[in-house]
Amino acid sequence: MLLRASGQSDQQDFDLNSVTDDHADSGVDFGHWLRSLTEATIQNRWDDLTTIRDQAGAAMGTQSMVDALVVASGFNGITRVADATGIPLDENTQQITIDMRVSTGIERFNYAEKSDRYDLVTT
Amino acid sequence: MYERTRYPLREGLIEAHEKVWESIAEPGPFWTGTERVAMVLESRAATSCRLCAKRRQALSPYAVDGVHDNETDLDAVIVDMIHRIRSDPGRITRNMFDQVMAAGITPEHYIEIVSVVNSSVIIDTLHAALGLPLAEPPTPQPDAPTGQPPANVTDGGAWVPIAVGNERPGMINGLSNNREPNIARSMGLVPSAVQLFFTAFRPHYALQNIPLDLKQSQAEFIASRVSALNQCFY
Repeated sequence: MLLRASGQSDQQDFDLNSVTDDHADSGVDFGHWLRSLTEATIQNRWDDLTTIRDQAGAAMGTQSMVDALVVASGFNGITRVADATGIPLDENTQQITIDMRVSTGIERFNYAEKSDRYDLVTT
Repeated sequence: MYERTRYPLREGLIEAHEKVWESIAEPGPFWTGTERVAMVLESRAATSCRLCAKRRQALSPYAVDGVHDNETDLDAVIVDMIHRIRSDPGRITRNMFDQVMAAGITPEHYIEIVSVVNSSVIIDTLHAALGLPLAEPPTPQPDAPTGQPPANVTDGGAWVPIAVGNERPGMINGLSNNREPNIARSMGLVPSAVQLFFTAFRPHYALQNIPLDLKQSQAEFIASRVSALNQCFY
């Protein structure tokens, strides 16, 4: 959701579907490498990441590559805080992102839908 | 911490992570230092736990019973909670939270676990992402839990009461209203848990003027992609 706001402030268009679509081009600078670094990190593909770090560092610069890993590792923690506390979206965010949540498929992650989907087997 | 890396890491991040590591080893308001360090070990154990692997393959993680490959003597319901948070966070439901509460764990105890585990997830993830061995667990400090005065919380629609939240002037990236975002309020039931987690997290991200060698849009893309991979609604 904040990606849309970044696009507005950068006066660039980003494809929000790239967040949930494995193949969509985000339009973000070095998006391919950011995606590769992020996915290998979150999926614990540490052997793959060895090569990706070298290639991404050569393409976008070592500090930017490291900072991409810094952001990914931070969000690997904070998403778990959200998931473990069941916090709702902030009120304003909820109101202005309804269509976007549906179009990108993010709506299926909401906690009520998760309960319907995953708790059903045991009830 | 991070002494062996060949990559450029900012000093502020290293200092923050070292501070968090030391804090985890100290007694918290509801758990001892030994128990808090055990939470870190249990989180690590989840990454190779056979039960967790089976659950990840199942249509519902709540349909697979069994015993975790645990590393500590923490109570079984806490081991299960930690393993689920570490190994399959996107499929945590209210059901898990209710099971923990039914076992007699208080929301305050729960929040402290969430903070310790996820602070260590940040630190462990960065080590692994940089190709480093995980940091040695900190040495637990003695003494009983410290307790805490009642927190200023409200029902904000989460599973736990959340901090009332401070009014903040202005907008954040044109999106937020003028109250603190819910993620910052989510662990408000235990103020020291908020402090611990955000000490670890703060060097990793900012809502604007991000102090990293990335454009804001690049950071938001990474953040959004992590949220999608972890099936995080927030």
